[in-house]
This record gives sequence, C-alpha cells and structure tokens, in this order.
Amino acid sequence: MISERTRRNLRRELRRSLLAKLGIVVVILMVAMAIFAPFISPYSPSQQNLDNARQPPLGFSTAETREVTQMENGSVVIEDGQVVTETQTVYTNATFAHPLGTDGNGRDILSRIIYGARTSILVGLFGTSLAALIGVLVGLSAGFYRGRVDDVLMRSADIMLAFPSLVLAIALVGVWGQAQAPIPDPFVATGIAPAFRSAVGLPTGMPETVVLPGTVIVVVALVNWVWFARVARGEALSIREEEYVKAAKALGASDGRTVLRHVLPNAITPILVLATIQVAAIILLESALSFLGFSGADVSWGFDIALGRQYQSTAWWISTMPGLAIVVTVIGLNLVGDWLRDALDPGIEGEGGV
Amino acid sequence: MSLSRFLIKRSLQGLFVIWGVITVVFGLRFISPGDPANVLLPPDVDPEVRAQVIAELGLNEPLYVQYWQFISGIPFGDLGLSLVTRTPVAARVVARLPATMELAIAATIVAVVIAIPLGVLSATRRHQPADYGATVFSLVGISTPNFWLGVMLILVLAVQLNLFPTSQRPIGLDGIAMLLAGGDVGAAVDGFVTWLWHITLPAITLGTYFTALITRLTRSGMLDQLGQTYVRASRAKGLPETLVRYKHALRNTLIPVITVIGLQLGTLIGGAVITEAVFAWPGLGTLIINSINARDWPVLQGSLIIVAVGFVLVNILVDALYAYVNPQVAYD
Amino acid sequence: MADTILSVRDLSTRFFTEEGQVNAVENVSFDVEDGEIFGIVGESGSGKSVTALSVIDLIESPGRVTQGEIWYRNADLAEEFRGSKPEAVDGDLVDIRRLPKGVRRSLRGPSFSMVFQDPMSSFNPSITVGEQIAEAVEVQRRARSNPRSTRSRTQGYGLGSLLVDSLLPSKSYVDDESMDRAVELLDQVGIPDPEDRADEYPHQFSGGMLQRAMIAQALAGEPDILIADEPTTALDVTIQAQILNLLRDLQEQEGMSILMITHDLGVIARMCDRVGVMYAGEVVERGPLADIFENPVHPYTQGLLGSIPDVDDPSGRLEPISGNVPSLLDSEMPDACYFADRCPKAMTDCLTRIPEYELDGRHSVRCVLAEQEYDPADAVDSADATDAADQEVSADD
Repeated sequence: MISERTRRNLRRELRRSLLAKLGIVVVILMVAMAIFAPFISPYSPSQQNLDNARQPPLGFSTAETREVTQMENGSVVIEDGQVVTETQTVYTNATFAHPLGTDGNGRDILSRIIYGARTSILVGLFGTSLAALIGVLVGLSAGFYRGRVDDVLMRSADIMLAFPSLVLAIALVGVWGQAQAPIPDPFVATGIAPAFRSAVGLPTGMPETVVLPGTVIVVVALVNWVWFARVARGEALSIREEEYVKAAKALGASDGRTVLRHVLPNAITPILVLATIQVAAIILLESALSFLGFSGADVSWGFDIALGRQYQSTAWWISTMPGLAIVVTVIGLNLVGDWLRDALDPGIEGEGGV
Repeated sequence: MSLSRFLIKRSLQGLFVIWGVITVVFGLRFISPGDPANVLLPPDVDPEVRAQVIAELGLNEPLYVQYWQFISGIPFGDLGLSLVTRTPVAARVVARLPATMELAIAATIVAVVIAIPLGVLSATRRHQPADYGATVFSLVGISTPNFWLGVMLILVLAVQLNLFPTSQRPIGLDGIAMLLAGGDVGAAVDGFVTWLWHITLPAITLGTYFTALITRLTRSGMLDQLGQTYVRASRAKGLPETLVRYKHALRNTLIPVITVIGLQLGTLIGGAVITEAVFAWPGLGTLIINSINARDWPVLQGSLIIVAVGFVLVNILVDALYAYVNPQVAYD
Repeated sequence: MADTILSVRDLSTRFFTEEGQVNAVENVSFDVEDGEIFGIVGESGSGKSVTALSVIDLIESPGRVTQGEIWYRNADLAEEFRGSKPEAVDGDLVDIRRLPKGVRRSLRGPSFSMVFQDPMSSFNPSITVGEQIAEAVEVQRRARSNPRSTRSRTQGYGLGSLLVDSLLPSKSYVDDESMDRAVELLDQVGIPDPEDRADEYPHQFSGGMLQRAMIAQALAGEPDILIADEPTTALDVTIQAQILNLLRDLQEQEGMSILMITHDLGVIARMCDRVGVMYAGEVVERGPLADIFENPVHPYTQGLLGSIPDVDDPSGRLEPISGNVPSLLDSEMPDACYFADRCPKAMTDCLTRIPEYELDGRHSVRCVLAEQEYDPADAVDSADATDAADQEVSADD
C-alpha cells in the first residue's frame, strides 16, 4: 500500500525539514505520555491536597496577604472577647514535588496534564478513525457510482457543512447526554504499574480505569466526516477513470472488490494527510467541548482551563499549563501533517519548509 | 453559463440545503432512543406537566403533522416558543444576532487586514527573517485553541495590566446607530470608543486562527503563483515587479483564498460561540449554550436554523464574489 | 556580413540547489546577427532554455549567472554609459550584465522579448488576452514618454491602486490607445475577429491561437531580438507549421532577430540561418546551418543528425546515441569532455577538458576531431560507455 517511492519521499522530506523532525518527536512524546501515564505521572490526577492548593510552578513564587489568627504559647489570643488577627504576607514557593504547580484543589497539574493527554489522544484517534470510516465510505461510493448516489450523498454533506462543527457538536452532546465508558487501565489492572511505582518510590493509588468519552467520540466523528467524504470522492472520481480500474471492471470484478482493491489504496495518501490534520482539529474540538463543560470529562485539558478561570487573578498557571499542552500537541500534529503533505503531494510545494 | 444563471442555480441549491438543515434540526428530537419527550423534559418531571407539554408540542400527533407544524411557520419567521420564557424564539434569536455578527465581522477584518500583507511579505521575502517570523506565527496561530487564547488575553491584558475589560458588551453598533439617529453625536462617539474597547480582545481571540490560516494560504498561494510560467512571461514582456506581484500573482492567489474563507465560515461561527462564552459576549453563542443548559430545545433549534441559514447565505455571497473575480467559474 | 546585435561570451549559469551546485550553462559563446534566426538545439536538460533566460535576465533563485558577458548593440545605451561605466561599453555594444538592474529590466520588451513553450500556462488565466497584450504595450508607451521612470521599481504604478485593482477586475491602468494597439497586434499575427477575441480569456482560446496571441504580446515592445523557447513543442503538428511560418514572416516584416530554442532539428533546418548545438551546458558545435547539417564534426552532432529519420532512405536504421544525458551536478561532472563516456570516437585526448576550435572562422567545434583524425588505436574503452549502452536513449527524447 505504501510504495518504495512514497517512503523515499517521506525520508527525503524528513531529512530536509527540521520542523518535521520536531513534529514527530512531539507527537511520539505525547502518545508515550498518554500510554504510560500510570508509570510516569507523579500523583493520581484526582488526588487532592487542600493545604497545598495553588502552589506555583518552578521558577515562580506568590505573595498573598491574609488575616491570620494570632497565637501565643500555643493558644489563640483573645482581647476584648474577640479573637485577635493580624495581617500576614504568606509566601508560597514552588517545589520540585509539583513542578508545574497545583490547582485550586491542590491537585498536581503535571499529573493532570499527563492523564489529560489520554483523553485528548483517545478522542483524537477514535474520533478521526470513525470520521474517516464514515467519510471514506460515503465519499468513495459517491465518487465511484456518481449520478444519483453522488447527488444524494454530497447534498447531505452540504447540509452537514451548513452547521458549524462546534455548534453542532454542542447541540448533539447537549441533546444526547454524555455517555462514558470506563475501561480498566491494563497497566493498573495487571498490577505492573503499582509494582513499578512502589519500587521507585512514587505514590500509588492511580486511577483504575481509563474513561472513554463515547458520546464525544461519536459526535466529533459525526461533525467531521464530511471532510473525508469530500477528499475520498474527489480521489474516487479521478481514479475510476484510470485504465487499470476500467480493466478490472471489464474483467468482471465486483464493485466492492474494485473499490477495495484499486480505488481505496490509491486514495489512501490524501486521506492519510487529512487524517493527521483532523486528529489535531478533533483534539481542539474536544478541548472546546470540555472547556464549555459539555464533554463530561473530569480529566481533560480543556476542562482544566475552565477550572483555572476562577483563579485567574491569583493563580495564572492553572489555566495556562493545560493550554500549553494543547498548543504543543496540536503544533506537533500540524508539523507532521505538513511533512506528510510536502512529501506525498509534490503538487503543494513550498509551505512550512525551513 | 451567465453569471445570473449561475447565481440562480446556486440559490436553488442553497434553498435545498436550508430545507435539509431544518429537517435535520427537526430530527434532533428523535436522535435519542425512546420517547422524544425524554429528550425534551427532565426525567423526574411531574407526569401532569409532562402530558401537558407533550400535548402542547403536538408530540402525540402523527409525525408528518408534527413536521408540517414545525416547518410551515419557519418561512413566516415562526420558530416556536421558548420552553423557559414562553416568548417567541425568533425574537430572542434576532436580538442576539448583532452581537455575534459584530464579533465575526471584526475578527474577519482583523484577519484579512493582517494576514494578506503578511502572507505576501512572507512569500516575497522567502527564507528571510520576515518569512520565518510569519511562518512561526501562522503555525502557532492555527494550533492555539481560541478559548485558551481568550483566557490568556484576559489574564495578561485585562487582569494583570488592566488595559482592557474582561468581558461584556455595554453597547453595540446598533445602539450607536440609534444614538446617531437621535442626533447625539458626542454620545455616539463615546459609545463607539467603549464598543471598540470591549470588542478588541474578543476580536483578537476569534481572529487569530483566521489570521494564521489566511497568512499560510496567502504565502503558499503566492509562492505557487510566482512560480507559474505566466509570471515569468509577464516579466519577459517588461512589466515592473509591482505589477507582476500585485496585479497578476496576488489576484490569482486571492481567488482560492476567497473559497477557503467561505468554507471556513462555519469554523468562524463555531469560534464565535466559544469566544462569546469566554468573554460573556451576549450573542448567539451564549444563547445556544444557555439554551442547552436550560434544556430549552426550541431556542436551540431556532438558533441552529438561523446559524445554518446565515452560513448558506454568506456562502452564496462568497460564490458570487468568486464568480465575479474568477471569470472561469461562470463558464464551467 | 551583417552586424552583430547580440554577442554572448563565456556565459555560465549555475543553480545552487540542496543537492549541490548544478552547472546548467557553462562557458557558452555565440553571436546573433541582425535579421537572422539563430537556433540553439539540444536535448532537454542541455541548458538551452537556461541560456535563453540568462540572456533576458530572468534567472530566478537559486540560479545565478556566474560569469560571462552579454554584449548587445544599442548606440543610445552605449552613449549613456560610456562615461560612467567604460568597462561596459565597446563601440556601439554594451555588456548588459554590467548595467544597473533597472536598466536591464527596461530592456525587456523593447530590446528582448520571449515566446514560451506552453501558451496556456504563459497567460494569466484570470485576465483577458487583449488586456495582457495591452499591458505590454502600455508599459512600453510609458517608457517612451518617460524613460527614467521605467527604470524605477514601480515604474509609476502605485501600490495602493494596484491593491484595489487586484481585487476588482478593471482596466484602469491600460488605456484605450494601448487596447487598440493590442487589437492591431492580434490582427497582425493572424487572429480572426481580433476585437472580439481581445475580450476573451485564455481558456477560451485554442492552443495555436493562444500561441499567436503570445507572439503578438512579445511583439508589443517592438523587440530587437525575439527569443522563442520551444514555441511549437506544445502544439499539434499542423499548427506548428503555421506558427513557424508566422514567425518567419514577422521576422522579415519587422527586421528583428530571432533566437530559436528547440530540441527539434526539423525546426532548425526549416527556420535557422545559423545554429549552435548544446550538450551538457556547453555549445559543442556552432556554425552556419549548411555546415552543421552537411559537415558535422562533433560526434554528438553527428549522432543527433543520425537519430532523425531520413525520408529518402526509410529503410535505413536510426542510430540512437547510446547512454544517458549526463548529470549537471558540479560534483559529478568529469574533468574531461562531457560527451566522452557516450562518444563512439572517444580517445585518450578526450579525458581532459576540450577548448573550442575554430574551423573556418564561422564554424567552431568543441572536439579534438577538429584537429586530428580518429585513431582507433588510441580509443578509450570506457566501462561507463558499455554500461550506459544498455539503456539507449534517442537524442530526440
């Protein structure tokens, strides 16, 4: 399916482009972070410590003035029947225990980012796969059969396009509710991760399940399949005119066989390029849904940005850090997308190459 | 095919899409398995209220009657009544339109005014610092979620530096127009300054992605055009570089950029919804979010229809512009 | 003998690509005389188009003309620069490579213009053909009325109005007079109904008609030298003959010179007075048409002529030149005659760089056979040559 020439182009473009290398490294790191979260996360993402809330990230400290009860010899000072308080400036310093700081409930932000990667990448991968499956089926049928089938399918695609994807996604999740499927985390269930953690001295008690945001995955696929349909249709329209496809049909190959054996493999390149960019788009969409509180996820980068907003005057890092995680991930994916596009489609040259 | 016939054909397609949109929105009630009333009402509602609502909404009528009731009022601007406020949905939606349109237009202007010169600069100074700067900006711009950008802008420019307000829209362009009509120029100018002050951050928030996207498209389109033989031929016949670049290459670059802007309108409206949520901007976006939270389905349905119809109309407009700029379309 | 209008000496053009330095044109010399058609013939990749683009100063990054002189006869320019740039002036001739950039640009149109291979891609698809020709007229009209301004970068065209124009299809910068001239030009190149056709877009033209329109556009500045880069390659055979006849007629009417770039020896035989044969960036042989065709000295020229069918002797086998066109990468170019590894008559003397030998003042050749007879005893048995012979390529490819 991937020819030697394609691989050579990919390698050559990768050698040439520093940005492509950067993108691949970022994406691999993010995926590894998501997969191995139970091993590398310093704490459980939900472990609260209210005494240690809003601790700043490394390199920063905060000064906060509060009223503190005056104490003398271990007892509260009372004057005129009232507890005496004094204004104190409380300095909170960063510690290596929480390199990215803690949130409003004292949860470790780094751990939440590591576990948040799981949500983003699960939705990104499953959502894109589902969207590609629907879109490619629709697009290939439309392009291959043309005529009435094409009209009906592509007009439906036009109707889908008339809804802004975020608006439709909000509406669908709003109407549908938020179904989530907890799946046992294989590393925790098999005991590998807890054993590893106690061996290296990390706190145990990691979440036992990975939450698969089912509704969100279905919804992001439903609002994004159209892009795949358009690309697949365009490819099918041109490939069906190729001699080898005509030859296969003349030899009596069934339609399904012709599409699977001849049309799909030749349409795969642009679909792959689109899929890479769509993973980025869907991660952004998921974070927007979570930010608005519609996804139902409680460990998600978008959701944490929203949580941090109430502390925007005192603890800027709570919203900032998860946002940076999104930006870095999406930049990585876009760079990989640029790399694939530059390498696989010499027709669109000149962009993104440094 | 002449331009007018092209537009008539395009408008008929648009009408079809609008019908499809209305039908899909009608169908939203039924996507949940089981009784459609379950979608419309919280599960623990009093059975009597439930029966009343079902009757009122005509949910016990046959499907085609319900569909007819839903669709027949729409051409006359009847989008039903809000379940919460019992007021006409159409009026509520229309009241929210100016705020959203202001935001979308401001963001588009920001994007076009910055992005096209930046993209041209980047393409004509390829492999120079300006090009690298523009490339990095556009990469980061298309990768940044706009709601987070909004939160960061508020954090730095509003909360820390106190340069801009964090939220709200105390006056809109419609209000300013009223002041002007009333002859109060001073108040109108004050109002405009206030408006500008409040819309700056939301417009940047919404516009950044599009600025980045259009910069990227303009750059790659311009590079593509500058490599075409006709550019070389224009130089060979003695045209000065300004004419070659800005009359020939830029114009052919903008033709596909216009199409993409049209296709991205949906993203613009989607972005407006979430930007409104960040800045408490009283537009359609906040209305949609509030209606979902309040389970006020008629308002949600009405908003979706208005958004989609607006999308279709603007796309017809973009197509007309496209056909006007690119003479080949009308003949294809 | 007619005067020389263009004299190219030791011209080298290199491309600095990621793969390395490409020597597209190397030490090329030739002359074009008044009112003649000079042909440059060679395989694709031999550097003939790059030579043409170097002359008209349209080499783009990563390419650059790295050395050589391009002497062009223009008494006015010679007068103008005699004092300020004496090294660029020789009698009536000026070395355009030494002239300022603005002056070089202003030569495009009135001194040199160019007809390209594919007319469809050489016109802007979104502007009418008439307007594009009128543009060329307009630029020259403005140049004549105000010679100084044509050397400035914007040439009196403001950026602001251009930005507006680039969004709105209007003709504000082309006035009616230029448009009338464009219609005249279309008429002159034999386009029927020129007034109507002027308002049509390139995609409404047939290939042959569009090539005529491009010739009209090239004539707009009344050039001294018209460079025709494969002007008929993209056209049907029947149309090719029409275009060639048109060029010939126009050349006689206008008294201009034509630099004809082609891979097609038929075109050369039909059109040219003198010809230069290019191989691997070098002119390997040049001289009057009859000398080259009847008495070729360079084995490459002989091979090239042997690879076209002979109507008088259809039974004779075509003799393809064995081997492949060489790489022009600087790092891979041998320190020998570039043709040696494909040459049937390669000798040990060929393993050094070969200079150009004058045969009789008009005919010169870059081959040792100019001075000595082929001696089989001295032949090089190059492994490369036998290797490459497995994949024979006809020179006409």
